[in-house]
This record gives sequence, C-alpha cells and structure tokens, in this order.
Amino acid sequence: MDKKLLWRIALIVIVIVVSVVSLYPPAKKIHLGLDLRGGIHLVLRVNTDDAIKAELDDASQRLISQAKDKGITLGTATTDPKSLSFTVEVPAGVDTTALRGVAESYLPEFKINPGAGKWTFQLPANVARNIRDMAVKQALETIRNRIDQFGVSEPMIQRQGIEGDRILVQLPGVDDPGRVKELIGRTAFLELKEVVAGPAPDRKSLLAQLGGTVPPDAEIITGGKKNSEGITIGKEYWLVKKAAIITGRELRNARRSQDRYNAPAVSFTLIPAAASKFGAYTGSHIGTRMAIVLDHRVMSAPTIQGQISDEGIITGNFSVQEAEDLALVLRAGALPATITYLEERTVGPSLGHDSVVRGVRAAIAGLIAVMLFMMVYYKWSGLNANVALLLNLVILMGAMAYFGATLTLPGIAGVILTIGMAVDANVLIFERIREEIEVGKTVKSAIDAGFGRAFGTILDANLTTLIAALFLFQFGTGPVKGFAVTLSIGILASMFTAVFVSRTLYMIILAGKDRVESLSI
Amino acid sequence: MRIIKKTSFPFLTYRWIAIGISLALILGGLAAIAFGPGLNLGIDFVGGTQVTIKLKKAPNLKELRKAITKLAVGEPLIQRFDEPEKHEILIRVENPKGKEGDFTRPILDLLNTTLNPNLGGTFDLNTQGAKELTELLVRGNPDGITGDPDALAAHYAPMAEAVMAYRKDHGMFREVSELGQIKELSEAARTFLEKRCAAGEFALLGAESVGPAVGADLREKAQLAIVFSLLGMLIYIWIRFQLPYGLGAVGALFHDVLITLGALSLTQREINLPTIAALLTLVGYSVNDTVVVFDRVRENLRIKRTGELQEIMDESINQTLSRTLITSGTTLAVVIFLYVFGGDVINTFAFVLLVGIIVGTYSSIFIASPIALGMTRMFDRFKKKRRNKRRARR
Repeated sequence: MDKKLLWRIALIVIVIVVSVVSLYPPAKKIHLGLDLRGGIHLVLRVNTDDAIKAELDDASQRLISQAKDKGITLGTATTDPKSLSFTVEVPAGVDTTALRGVAESYLPEFKINPGAGKWTFQLPANVARNIRDMAVKQALETIRNRIDQFGVSEPMIQRQGIEGDRILVQLPGVDDPGRVKELIGRTAFLELKEVVAGPAPDRKSLLAQLGGTVPPDAEIITGGKKNSEGITIGKEYWLVKKAAIITGRELRNARRSQDRYNAPAVSFTLIPAAASKFGAYTGSHIGTRMAIVLDHRVMSAPTIQGQISDEGIITGNFSVQEAEDLALVLRAGALPATITYLEERTVGPSLGHDSVVRGVRAAIAGLIAVMLFMMVYYKWSGLNANVALLLNLVILMGAMAYFGATLTLPGIAGVILTIGMAVDANVLIFERIREEIEVGKTVKSAIDAGFGRAFGTILDANLTTLIAALFLFQFGTGPVKGFAVTLSIGILASMFTAVFVSRTLYMIILAGKDRVESLSI
Repeated sequence: MRIIKKTSFPFLTYRWIAIGISLALILGGLAAIAFGPGLNLGIDFVGGTQVTIKLKKAPNLKELRKAITKLAVGEPLIQRFDEPEKHEILIRVENPKGKEGDFTRPILDLLNTTLNPNLGGTFDLNTQGAKELTELLVRGNPDGITGDPDALAAHYAPMAEAVMAYRKDHGMFREVSELGQIKELSEAARTFLEKRCAAGEFALLGAESVGPAVGADLREKAQLAIVFSLLGMLIYIWIRFQLPYGLGAVGALFHDVLITLGALSLTQREINLPTIAALLTLVGYSVNDTVVVFDRVRENLRIKRTGELQEIMDESINQTLSRTLITSGTTLAVVIFLYVFGGDVINTFAFVLLVGIIVGTYSSIFIASPIALGMTRMFDRFKKKRRNKRRARR
C-alpha cells in the first residue's frame, strides 16, 4: 500500500474516532431543542416607563420632604413620564434661592425650569436611558434569581431586542407553564404603609371622613375584604400614605409559614438598617393600622400591637402553592418595572416526545430506502456510497455534539434531507465514471476523471445551498436556526464523505491490482 | 442497472410550451393568492394565540367553540390535529388588536372550567407538573418519612418524575387507576395519590402566542432571509458563470417559490417559520440542480467552442439527466417518508419540500436553461448593436 493511501485512511479513522468520542453517549451529548424535549420559550418586554415613573415619583417626594425640612412648604407634584419631567406647585412667597439650593443638592441630575407658580424638573435623556438600562438589568437578574430558586435545569435567560428592553427566557422540561409564567411575571413589590383611613366599601365613603378629597401625600388602594376566617368575600378601599415605611428591597428573607388560623402565610425578616427604622415606627404607632401592600393591592392591614423590629407576616387567603411562590418571589427580589409577554411557545413533553419518535422513524425509513436504491442501482459502488452516507450521519451528529448545536424538529428534517442530498455527490461522481468508462477509458483513469470532473460541480452546487442555509441561520430563530445548522454541517460532511472517503474506498479496493478490467457500478 | 439510457431529447425546442405551462401554473397560483383563498399566514406572522390539547374522548367542537367565543376577539378556529383517533385539537384565536400580553392563560383557564367542571380541589394529573406533584406528596407525606422538607422532596421527586414520564409516553392519564402501572410509586404513595388526584379531560400539547411586536419582527426577518439568499445566489452564479446564467437560476427559483406558494394557498396550509425554512431549502435544492446543468454547459462550451448554444445546452441537460432524476428520486423518497411519518407538526414543512422538489427538478431542466439561453442571446444582440453603432460612428 502506498503512503498516500495510508495517510488518507489515517485521516478518515481520526475523523470517525473524534466524531464517535464527541457523540458518546448520544443521549447526553445531543442537545434537544425545546420543541423536542418540551419546555417553554418566552419573550417579554420590561416596561421601562415604569422605572422612569418610579424615579420621577420618588424624586418629587424627596424634593417635597427635603424642602419641608428646610421650612419650605411646596404644593402638590405631578409627574409626566412621557416628557421625563415632574412639576411642583411653588406657592407665592417661597424663598426661591433656598428652594433652588435644596433642589440642586438633592436632585443633582435634574434640570430645573422655574416658572410662575410651578417649577418643572427635567430628567436629561442620557440619565433616563441609564435608568431604563438599569431596570432591564435588574429585571434580568431578578428573573434569573426566581428561576434558579424555582429549580429549572439549563435555563437560558438573555437580553435581546434593538432597544434592549426584551428578555428571552427558555426553560426546558417545564411541564406547568402557567405557574412559571406567573412566577416570572409577578412584580412582587412589597410595601408597608401607614393607613390614613379605611377600610370603606367604596371611594366616596372612604373620603367622606376627610372632606371628600385625597390628601396630597396619600393615595387610595384596594384590597380584598375578608371574613373572620380569612376568606376573601369582596373588595374594600383604603387610604394610605404614599411614602412606604418599608419596601421589599429591605427584606432579608421570606419563607412560607402559617397564620393564626393555620392557613398558609408568608413570614419575612428585615435587614438590620430597616429593622431599626421599622422598630422606631412601630414603637411610636402602637394602636394604629399598617397596610401590607403587594403590587398595589392591600393584602392585610394589621393593627400594630407593640414594637416589632425585624419580622412580619403576610396573610391573604393563599393556597400552599401561592404562599410558597410569594415567598420565592419576595426572596428573589421585586421587578423594577412591570413586564409584558410578547411571545410564548410552550411545547408539552408528550408532543416533543412524539415528534422525536416520528422524526427518527421517518429518518430510518428514508435511510433504508435510499441505501437499498443505491445498492440496486450502483451495485458494489452503491455500497461504497452507503458507507459514505452512514459516515456522513456519524460526522453530522458528532459535529453537532462537538459544537453544542441544538437538534430541533426542523433539524431532524434537515438530517433526513441530508440523507437524500448526501448521495447526490456520489451520484454525480458515479454517473461521471460511467460516462468515462463508456468512452473507453480504463477503470482507474475513469475513476480519476470521474472524481476530478465531478468535484467542481459538487463544490458549486453545494456552495449555493450553503448560501441559503447561511441566511437561514442569520435571520432564523429557534427551531429554524437548528435546521440551518444541521443542513450546513450535513452539506460540508457530505463533501468530505462522498469525495474523499469514497475515493479512498476505491483506492483500497484497487490497490495492488495492476489491471482492473471492470468496475461494479 | 440503468434507468435512463443515453438520451438526446431536444428540451429547448419545447421551451415555449414549458414556459407556457409554468406561466399558467404561476398565474393560477397568484390568482389563488390574490383573488382566491389567499395565503393562510400562521400566528408567527400575523400574531395570535394557538393552543393544542389532547382530549380523553372525541371532542364536542360545538361546545368548545361556544365557550371560547366568549373570550376571543375574532371567530375562534378549532380544528382537528393529527389523526382523528388521537382526539387532538388545535384552537387558534386572534389576539385583541395591537395588544401584547399573556393570552394562553385565559384560554387554558377557560378550557379547564369548561371541560373539567367537577374536579374541585383534586390534583389534575393531566395539567399539573412534576414540581406540583412533588409538593403534594411532600405535604401529604404518605410514606411517613422523617426529616426536613428537602429530604422529603428528595424522596418523593423521583416518584413524581415517574408519573410525569408515564404521562409523556402515553400522552395523558385516562384514569387515575393507571397510577398502578408506575413501579416507582410506593404502595402508600399510590393509595394517597389515587385518593387526591383526578384525571382531567384534557392535557396540554402545546401553546403558542405571538404578539404584534414579535410578529412584525418575524415577518421582517423572513423577508430579509428570502431576499438575501436570492441575492447571494444570483451573485455567486454571476461570479462563477455569467450574468445570464445567474438570471436563469434566479428566474427558476422565482418560478419554484411562486408555484409552491400557489400550492400552499390552494391547500390552505399554514405559513409559519418552518414553512419559510422549507421554502429556502427548496431554493437551495433547486439552485443546486440548476448549477449541475450549468456546470456541464460550461464544460461543454470549453471543449467544443463551436456549435449553437442551444444544442450544447440540450446536450448538457441530456448528459446530466440521469443524475438529476436519481438525486430528485432519492431526495423525494426521504421527503415522502417525512410527509407520511413525520406527524402534523412537520407536515407542512414536508409538503413544501415535496412540491418544491418536483417543481425544482422540472424548472432546472425546462426553465433555467431557456432563460439563460434567451438572456445570452439578448445580451449578444445588445453588444452587437453597440459594436455596430461604434463602427458606424467611425
């Protein structure tokens, strides 16, 4: 055997070994896409306008209270998130230089526009952009925390979109999509607020005690009305202070527990800084009510019995699962803004399983049909092509395992298509060899000419298909991308197997024979 | 063995007949799209929500439609999915105009209240997941395990997984007593579950919801993918061959895609992302076929140098004919298996390839070369005219 042939055999063996090693064990090495293993794919948008509004609200309240400390009484503030600004009523006779001093020291990032009777505070565009960016980053982190705590293996959580406000979440193997969506989408913003008035059955009777208007530092929120056993029986209205005593950001931990009726509840503990603040507040407000507000709904409003420093309990007619999930989202932190679902794709595990079974069945049937045909049509050369075809599949799967590519349902279709198209290169070569033999060439030179001439054609033909696959990969999403990957690898592998491997097989057969009279083709 | 002996069929002589037939098919397809049923664009492109469920028994479509009409904006589309004896149905509704949000949940909640009115507080084995089942077992603790909740969860999680694996293999639980077939369950756990669980009327196979923002994105991406791959091929063939050949190949591609779209319109199959992928694959396949012929033309032109281009093209098509038919045959064979065995999810994908491979094979013989021939002649005439003009000026 000559040296060249040995080199070729060595290369083929290396490729086979590398493919098999990277493929073994297949069940672990081939990543199945969500459409095959089941799971949920979500695209959600972080409504960053919420974060802007929160910043403006917070800034205006901060300004009013700081000014008050300096002896300047300001009117009400109105925020306008669209124009990134808020306006504060400045009564006549206010010391404007002092006010400007307060504003500049406490709201340095705002641009101040003093006007007659009211001042406008403008948030510069770049600061707003930062706030939005931070909101998305924080949302990403929070969602990741929640999913980690829920326990999903191999989750994928990515930021995407031109404006960068979208988050892609892929959770393989989740079999109850409803619960996960609820868990991810919940804002989970906890606030403990001072109750000004309430509860009342409607808005009017709530405000009747206060002369019909809402005080500037308070707001109305609703909550479920509960009977003595803690069961929700209706809706009621509360008037609470706008500024929260404690928010969810100051929680140290939260866990599911039980209330005094043995119903599921959530207990929480506070971080030390918040605990002292909370202790001071509860100590000086014994006998008053405090509202526990979650996502702008009053969950309960217990009366403060004595000084509490670092723990509390949220009750609210929860099921065990709801209490568990609430504790989880409180631990994982609140979302800085609400989110909206833009896209959802859930594949139930049995559908994915069914798809795999059917895809594999179709692939095997197709493979057998093609191999039988090649054997009948090209006899021993057909066997040569079949060896190349099988090797092509091994390399294809090995390469997918090696690159960590994902196999999707269209990807399986790509594999099946590869089976049909991979023999094309062999067909091109064999037809050419037949032509050359007909012209009267010897077997050896016919093989040489066949491979030589067909190669250019194979290259041109396959490159055009690769172009299509490339753009599919570029613009495709999820399953379609998987298809483009398998198709591309299949095409490249088929060029190696049909041209290089088949040629080597012929060389092995013909090696050592001086004259070959006929070729089984 | 040989199916096709040496042929010398004058394909290009009949080019006008072939072009006539193709034009009729293309115009028929375009008419079906424009004036007939149109293209059935799936939720990937127009937005909407689609839920696929498996039912225990044959569905009462009328009742379901009535229930779902209550929440949908448009008329809900309810159709059978896969083989009828599997009792699988697909429900598709439009989303409220221009709104984003979670629209699968209300449909699932509605299905639950409509189909499972009597489940009460029992645990539905068909809609809830392994995690919830583990929690149920941990709370009930039928095996009386001692230890912290984590130890209990570690004990019961494999049982819950096994129950879910059973559901995955069988599609759904028809009766609670099927729990008896799961070996991983302890005796006590099984008795406990049989008491606390019920087998609801339906199981979720899949749910998809695409809002307007993502729908617009996907539309744009699909268009870009198609435009760029056509351009890419035109440029590649232009470089490797000549412009007339590039135009011939791309002309054949338009032909294939338009006829396939016509077939999609007539059969009212849904056009989704995988359908677009299939269309692009057919583009790749068809151009592959065409390039093989053009390659031969180029080679023959090099060898002969003389002779009418039409004759050389005919000869080249004949020389590559057996390869063209064999490759189409093997690819068609695997695609037929995909079409027959692949299941409903992949069926339209296979359909596009099936139509596309037949049309693509035809076009690489009857359409691509005639266009290339016509374009070459036109370019030659144009060049001659220019040359004559220049001469006349001198």
